[in-house]
Amino acid sequence: MKAFAMSVEIPSFPVPPASTSQTAGAESGYERWQTTDADPQTTRPARRSLAMLAVRAGAFAIFLGVFLIFAVTAPYFLTIGNIGNVLGQSAITGVLAIGLTLVIIAGGSNVVTGGIDLSLAANMGLSAAVYAAIIQAGYGDAVAVAGALATGLAIGAVNAAAVTLAGIVPLLVTLAVMNVVAGLELVLTQNTVIPAATDFLAALSASGPLGLPVLAYILVGFTLSVAVIVQATPLGLRLYAVGAFPEAARAAGLPVKTFIGGSFLASGLSGGIAGILSVSYLSGSTTGAGDMLLPVVVTALLGSVFSNRLIPTVTGTLLSALFVGVLINGFQLLNIPSTLVSGVQGLLILLVVSATTLLGRKEAA
Amino acid sequence: MAASAQSTHAVGPSRKLSGTIGRYALVAALVLVFALFASIAPGFLSGANLLSVLVNNVALLAIAAVAMTFAVSAGGIDLSVGTAIDFASFAFVSLVLAGQPVLLAIVGGLAGGAMVGLFNAILIAGIGISPFLATLGTLFVGRSVQQLLTNGGNPVYLPPNSVPDAFRVLGHGTIADIPLPILVTLVILAASWIVLARTAFGRSVIAAGMQASVVRYSGLSLPRINAVTYILVSLIAAVVGLILTSTVTVYIPSSGNAFLLNAIGATFIGTTFDRHGRPNIPGTALGVLLLGIVANGLLLSGLNFYWQQVGTGLLIFSVLAIGFGQRENVTRA
Amino acid sequence: MPEARQEKEPVLRLENIVKRFGGAEALSKANLTVRRGSVHGLVGQNGAGKSTLIKLLAGLHQADEGRIEIDGVAQDRLTPHLAEALGIHFIHQDRLLVPSFTVGEALFLGHEPRIAGTPFLDRRAMRRQAEETLRRYFDLSLPSDALIAELSAAEKQIVQITRALIANPKVLVFDEPTAALVRREAELLFRLIRRLSAEGITILYISHYLGEIVDLCDTVTVLRNGRDVATLTVSETSAAEIGALMVNREIAELYPKPTVSAGEVLLEARNLTLAGSYRDISFTLRRGEVLGMTGLVGSGAKEVVRTLFGLETATGGSIAVKGDVVVPANPVGAASRGLALVPEDRRRDGVALSLSVLENTTLASLKRFSRGLINRRAERHGADDLVRRLQIKTDGIDALVGTLSGGNQQKVAIAKWLSRQSEIYLLDEPTVGVDIGAKVEIYHLIGELAERGAGIIVLSSDIEELRGITDRLLVFFRGRIARTVATAEVSSEQILADVTGAHESLRHVG
Repeated sequence: MKAFAMSVEIPSFPVPPASTSQTAGAESGYERWQTTDADPQTTRPARRSLAMLAVRAGAFAIFLGVFLIFAVTAPYFLTIGNIGNVLGQSAITGVLAIGLTLVIIAGGSNVVTGGIDLSLAANMGLSAAVYAAIIQAGYGDAVAVAGALATGLAIGAVNAAAVTLAGIVPLLVTLAVMNVVAGLELVLTQNTVIPAATDFLAALSASGPLGLPVLAYILVGFTLSVAVIVQATPLGLRLYAVGAFPEAARAAGLPVKTFIGGSFLASGLSGGIAGILSVSYLSGSTTGAGDMLLPVVVTALLGSVFSNRLIPTVTGTLLSALFVGVLINGFQLLNIPSTLVSGVQGLLILLVVSATTLLGRKEAA
Repeated sequence: MAASAQSTHAVGPSRKLSGTIGRYALVAALVLVFALFASIAPGFLSGANLLSVLVNNVALLAIAAVAMTFAVSAGGIDLSVGTAIDFASFAFVSLVLAGQPVLLAIVGGLAGGAMVGLFNAILIAGIGISPFLATLGTLFVGRSVQQLLTNGGNPVYLPPNSVPDAFRVLGHGTIADIPLPILVTLVILAASWIVLARTAFGRSVIAAGMQASVVRYSGLSLPRINAVTYILVSLIAAVVGLILTSTVTVYIPSSGNAFLLNAIGATFIGTTFDRHGRPNIPGTALGVLLLGIVANGLLLSGLNFYWQQVGTGLLIFSVLAIGFGQRENVTRA
Repeated sequence: MPEARQEKEPVLRLENIVKRFGGAEALSKANLTVRRGSVHGLVGQNGAGKSTLIKLLAGLHQADEGRIEIDGVAQDRLTPHLAEALGIHFIHQDRLLVPSFTVGEALFLGHEPRIAGTPFLDRRAMRRQAEETLRRYFDLSLPSDALIAELSAAEKQIVQITRALIANPKVLVFDEPTAALVRREAELLFRLIRRLSAEGITILYISHYLGEIVDLCDTVTVLRNGRDVATLTVSETSAAEIGALMVNREIAELYPKPTVSAGEVLLEARNLTLAGSYRDISFTLRRGEVLGMTGLVGSGAKEVVRTLFGLETATGGSIAVKGDVVVPANPVGAASRGLALVPEDRRRDGVALSLSVLENTTLASLKRFSRGLINRRAERHGADDLVRRLQIKTDGIDALVGTLSGGNQQKVAIAKWLSRQSEIYLLDEPTVGVDIGAKVEIYHLIGELAERGAGIIVLSSDIEELRGITDRLLVFFRGRIARTVATAEVSSEQILADVTGAHESLRHVG
């Protein structure tokens, strides 16, 4: 399926460098009749790659450092109410980024042949518009919820079909679908805000137990349920296999395309859910959902840094979303323009990836 | 992944035929769309309209897409083309505001854009980060830098009375009645085509995009190829910034990103035009033309303005579906 | 024993199998019958149809004609799933294991144990069963939470075999299983296979290495050009006879070697040292000379070659090309000095599969063809010339290299440097994965290069090959040159003794 090889690896955080050095020479037969000079038991590569550990530790240290700085400099930062706010404000990004994470897990780390869903933000916009439009038309919340989720799923289904049946690479499929979906949102809303206020929406954006916003509970609940599926069931394990090494998954008898299609359905559904949350948060559908796209992509990509094996994980993505949330919140409290958050995100991603690459190179040498 | 050595991908005659169909899907779509709008959209065929399509819908996107085509050819992608556009635009406007001669400001604008490329080059060729991540980082950092430079993201207007006439030439000038933006676009298209398809550098870019390690093992310098490519990408993108600013006489922070997704789209639509599915300049140009005609045609046919985007998306989708469905398949597996 | 086995009923029976890819017939009326409990060898050159046959059996391809019977039941639509359900399991040549998985996860992917009554993974059971199985069959304690990426090639192989064993297979198909194993590990594998066979599992064993077949199998089927030319009882035949059936060519013709008198010194290494890899390596290479290098992995031979091409940087000593002392800091510099490397991993480093023959051939010599612009006519002419000279079998110079056979791909990898008019050729395992016909042509080409005054270094682990085509031989052991010798004056056994450092003669050479 690689008609021209575009080798844009998304997170090139290493599965440790040892692996690359092995596949090359070792497959060839050069060693076949040989005993290696050294005892194979002692030449086994170092257990966990140093780079991997360093990056992980570094990522957590940065998170912790930022947290501490805010805690010290912004007195209000470390209150339950504020932490709740951070969670609530991260809910929409978090849900979207987790949806994207599923696609990345199932599609693998190569952007072109692999997993990416550029239609997610537009999906959220359209789902929100559908929700608000249904309310405006006089129907109840149940219909609106169903409508929003169905919208999200339908978008996911189109992506899934185009990727698995037509064999178009996800980057392009979802780029085209993004255009269509964003256009449909414009058609539906005429590029205006559609207000929506119902008890259900009010309840979503209200405070829940412990004075934390309901949205915070939803984010945590959503993350946990997806995390359990992905990280504790055979289904999740297979999803990883499909993304990381499709040939191996196929050899293990797994229906690779079904998994990939399923991941797009799941991310479509996440778009629908995020749409509902955004209607609640903003009291209606608003324009400009597309601006969420790149921040969501960065959030999902940075998530790998917060995982044990430097692979995309649901909990890692949650941490990454919260990290961004903390930054925005802290900057607000300290009166730093929150527009600088994107700069910090950008620098961070460059820093992390540079460190990984340079460390990996040193280790390989 | 080493593979069983048997080749299982002989290309039969029927396969070749369908490959040809895929290849010309793009041209067919272009002709169809053109004919369709010529018959249903009033005024579509008028010279004035077609000219405006080229100037407003095609020229700038074409330049941005050509830039993207280089990055994609090298096996990467440049998500920061918009950043280069913005930086060029900012430098251009600032220099003119500071009273510098327009020519110097143009050079300064190009340099401003190229700085973005230099930054990418250091990340990609120097450190070895994957282009997607590197340019994504650049995009985000660039956005914040622009916020800082503009005091929180305020547009920089050139007061109409103080704009030298020369400033507007790039966007509004004509030579022999042909608008300058179109001429510049044509020159860039032609030059880029030659560079990519006919020079040793272009060939090594394509080879690097296909299989980087072979390029390295062939005694070519991969870092050099990548560095030159990404600087070139930004330099070309900078031209968009110059023309854009000259046309609208204002610099709006982070506005260059508007070109990003369509530039990627046009580049990949263009790949269906190549026999082997490679990025190529003529294909990219056709892709941009297709996008431009559809946008304009939909507008003229009285459809709701917002349907434009839907139509464009659907069209990209179908061209890709046909092009990809037929593509010759040489697996590395 | 083999006689007794012949009586048993067939587990697998493939009859008159035809499989076409595009226009080409990969299998034309091939037959294979494997009897219960036997260890059945399947041999043939590359392109003989072994892989295709195996893929049909695995349900990865469907046959165009013919009949597949498993346990006496005809199966006309095999799928990978069905094949497994019928008890046929495959140990693939490529280790199909997810690098980011733990050993436990990799072992159980597809049939993961669950915590009873829940949909959740039972990680503890996975770990326990993994460790038990590994201990039982391999006497090996791999930490089951180690990542696949952290394992050695042999350990990965073991994980893959264990994966199959967990599923209680009836038939185990080994596709070139020793390709990545060191000898001791291969021995371990053979012991294991014998034991599995004793436990009643039928083995189908595919290999290039006839020695292994003779040692291990009771029956062997030889494929040639997509059909089975013979099925023999191993006790009644010999490796030589099997080899003759495979190639239909006398072995002596394999190694054409023109006599060329060596000329001026092209390349000289003096006390070349790379800390941690090799020490005090000195040798010369003259015009017209074919210098062989061999040694174990880690013996330094490969690293020396890589250093010459600027892929590694020596920490001491010097390299002189035609008398000029140079420091090849990268391949760019090495290539400009007239050095050419044909790397071992051909499909990754040697040729670009999705570039055309033309584009590959001129990739290293673009400058020669361009003055500002590439002179297309000159370029095509140059490529055409080389295709003809090297007898590269292709649909034309515009065909993608990925569509060529391994041997022809290798010729393209060499043509790339001929086009640059390189003078010093470093060939790293030039005939691995190349079928015998193309092998001979490559040997001819090496001879021709020598005649034209090039200097050639052949790094190889195929000792017969080294004896056949080289003039002198450097044997590396533990980072040093253990022996420098004129090839004509040394026996295979001596070379092997030097290579392994143990002065014992080995069982066989592949």
